Amino acid sequence: MDTLFRLFSPQSSRDLSRNSSSSRSSEPRQIHHQHSFLHHNSFARQREVEFYREECGTEHHLYMDEDFSSSSSSKHFQNPHQPPSTTTTTTTTTPTPTPIFDPADLSLPQDLNLDFASPSSSSVGASGAGRRWSSQLLIECARAVAARDSHRVQQLMWMLNELSSPYGDTEQKLAACFLQGFFARLTSSGPRTLRTLSAASDRNCSFESTRRTALRFQEVSPWSSFGHVAANGAILEAFLDPSSASQRLHILDLSNTFCTQWPTLLEALATRSADDTPHLSITTVVWSASPSTAVQAVMREIGQRMEKFARLMGVPFRFNVVHHAGDLSDLDLDTLDLREGGSSALAVNCINALHGVSPADHRRETLIAAIRRLQPRIVTVVEEEADLEGGGGGGEEEGEAFFKVFKESLRFFSAYFESLEESFPRTSNERLALEREAGRSLVDLVACPAAESAERRDTAAGWSRRMRSAGFAPAAFSEDVADDVRALLRRYKEGWTMRAAAEESEDASAGIFLEWKEQPVVWASAWKP
Amino acid sequence: MFLSSAAAPSNSTSISEEASVSSETRFHVSFSSLLAPSSPHHQPQQPPPKTRKKRSQPGNPGRPLSLSPQPCSSWLLISWVRGHIYAADPDAEVVALSPNTLMATNRFICEICNKGFQRDQNLQLHRRGHNLPWKLRQRSSKEVARKRVYVCPEPSCVHHHPSRALGDLTGIKKHFSRKHGEKRWKCDKCSKRYAVHSDWKAHVKTCGTKEYRCDCGTLFSRKDSFITHRAFCDALAEESARLMSAAVTTSPPLHQPLFRPFSSWHPTTSSNPNLIFNPSHDLDLGALQIKPAENDLPSLDHHLPTGTSTSAHLSATALLQRASTMGAMSFTNTVSGQGYDGMMVGDVAAFPMWQNGHRLTRDFLGVAAGETGDDDDDLLLDLVTASSCAPMGDPTKQLAGFPPVTGPWD
Repeated sequence: MDTLFRLFSPQSSRDLSRNSSSSRSSEPRQIHHQHSFLHHNSFARQREVEFYREECGTEHHLYMDEDFSSSSSSKHFQNPHQPPSTTTTTTTTTPTPTPIFDPADLSLPQDLNLDFASPSSSSVGASGAGRRWSSQLLIECARAVAARDSHRVQQLMWMLNELSSPYGDTEQKLAACFLQGFFARLTSSGPRTLRTLSAASDRNCSFESTRRTALRFQEVSPWSSFGHVAANGAILEAFLDPSSASQRLHILDLSNTFCTQWPTLLEALATRSADDTPHLSITTVVWSASPSTAVQAVMREIGQRMEKFARLMGVPFRFNVVHHAGDLSDLDLDTLDLREGGSSALAVNCINALHGVSPADHRRETLIAAIRRLQPRIVTVVEEEADLEGGGGGGEEEGEAFFKVFKESLRFFSAYFESLEESFPRTSNERLALEREAGRSLVDLVACPAAESAERRDTAAGWSRRMRSAGFAPAAFSEDVADDVRALLRRYKEGWTMRAAAEESEDASAGIFLEWKEQPVVWASAWKP
Repeated sequence: MFLSSAAAPSNSTSISEEASVSSETRFHVSFSSLLAPSSPHHQPQQPPPKTRKKRSQPGNPGRPLSLSPQPCSSWLLISWVRGHIYAADPDAEVVALSPNTLMATNRFICEICNKGFQRDQNLQLHRRGHNLPWKLRQRSSKEVARKRVYVCPEPSCVHHHPSRALGDLTGIKKHFSRKHGEKRWKCDKCSKRYAVHSDWKAHVKTCGTKEYRCDCGTLFSRKDSFITHRAFCDALAEESARLMSAAVTTSPPLHQPLFRPFSSWHPTTSSNPNLIFNPSHDLDLGALQIKPAENDLPSLDHHLPTGTSTSAHLSATALLQRASTMGAMSFTNTVSGQGYDGMMVGDVAAFPMWQNGHRLTRDFLGVAAGETGDDDDDLLLDLVTASSCAPMGDPTKQLAGFPPVTGPWD
């Protein structure tokens, strides 16, 4: 959003009030003003966000103004095909927003409230599903983008801008995140926006905050613990299989969950193979687009704690971290000393790692083949279920491809945001952090080319196809592991179910799905060479 | 409670007396010998049923021999439990039942109508109904003259060797089920499997009711969130340091002289006041803390070769023990845990183990928690916390978490 500020010079407040009372027309000047008003609003909101971000770090209450964050899903849906004049009535009541750029000013929220209040008075035919207004708006906007209908795009974005908020309900949040993506796309500043957002989050990243967010997330939602429990179960069974038990175990951990998977594995290892606990080494690979000192510090701290904990558990343990900048497929796995002289049994654990690899140039196949060459005893793959690969070619997708990817992103992230909303308490800094992260992913998905994207998830069927063609065969989860997963889901709130992947044809995907309200969201599987 | 021989406080003297009286200097210390201190040659007898029911005693109870400086004969088989030395009964008949017999549920058969019963009493009751003539009513006294000890038929098992035989039939049956049997019972909350129905029942009672408290003060109802939290908790740094130092400090005074059985059988009483180690304290520990202590110790075997981690595995289960909030940890409990912890560190290396790295006391009993490796924490927890929160003289309450005794302790 900062980039927008640079692109558009700030308008004076006088201009703004003038803009607010003018009706929409197709005159370029008006459009420009509306653009700037629109951008100002977003900019102001961005400043708010920054302000709140700073607050986050000091543990202040994030929700200082309850009424501004109150759910306004009951507001009426503005039909985009209605004459534009109706939309401007919402802004006539806007008081002069003089201190817009003052981060301490919280009066802007009132504007939003009023905006929401007036549509009911102007009562434009509130067609459409009241609850799903954001999806409809967003889809319309995406369609317009795909069709390169800039006028319509601007109309819709303006509306979205009015109605969205990163602190509102799920609909508003989704609208806000996608809107951010749209902005980046239309201004061709996707990668730049992404870098800015990543740098901002990096600045606030610390061991404390990471730990808090990750652990709280796992406490309230099985989104990540589902994959962890399934993977740990499969790994343990593969390692402790009496026919091939080894005294040295090595796990190559390609994951973005900051080693929260391993304490339970260590405990299980200590208690299950009671008499002679084998030696365990874990090599964690952390990847990012650009090197980050914050992440390095976090991993250092994590490493220390893991080692102490392993000592506490009585498991001989060694921990290595590898920081990799760039695409994972470029990492040379042979340099990691995974065999430790040849005696260790190897397991490879990929949590959300594969979709971080660029879909272009067969890089994903390259990585999987490299893993195959390591001859691991077992490979666990946990991925989020969404068909976002798109064209896979260079350059941003255009037209239909973009629209398809957009719809799928909307579906997936709606489920994600909804589950976050229902799992976390009403006011939660951890959830905000996760939503912000999702916002970054969305900017990547909407505004960045697929070839450079690290968010191009694929479906279980897609990954299964790749694994099979690389020479892996699916290893079904045992009944015990399935029971463990079911017991895990029982510990959480309602809404989560587990489903085994369909096994009919040769091409079918293996593994199990975590479903949120009957919609598969996370896929966990195990593979053997 | 231990049945003390005539003079309770002066245990040491009474044992040495008995031993020295015996012309063969047999260190024959089955429980019965203590009941009849006058007889110089101690016949192996059935210990009275009353004492056999005491779960707090090992299968082959006896006086701790730690106190006695007598020389011993070479044929004496020594196995020791919880830091005490007990001599196996050399005259006992070693019985190895077949797996089928062990798994059979109705082993008491009426000879008249061939009806099967699970318990001897039930069979006797049934036999009464046959109106037998008087003399047939009595069980032939010759049959039960010899004490029987049972070994596990599974050759790879620790208890296959006669020196590690178990003293009672129920014990060996349960052991066989647990270790070598199919686990047919499953907890639906945590998917733990059990072979013995009573183990399963006991677990289901407590599964999910435990709460875990981290050292930092946070309370958890879920074990997995507790574990993950603990791994990254700030309290971890101090914790491991404390554990290490505790293990180190308690080990030296206790272990050395006590556990070099073949070398230390010389008059060292005076030089090792620690050996005596407050017999009353031992008694207390023996009577009340046997369960937790003996359960602590065997876990230390896990890392014989790596010295520092011997106490570390203790802490995997100790961690969960300590964290459980079913009862506050008493001081004695901690001390005994640490103390035995210390004793074990050196012992194991010194004593020629039949099978390296196996657990001692629990398997000796054949009944205790943790034979199935994953029972460690739960049953351990139950025992520890149950014992720590139970009043001294209430044995039934102590065994709250333990599989209930279903029959006579035979």
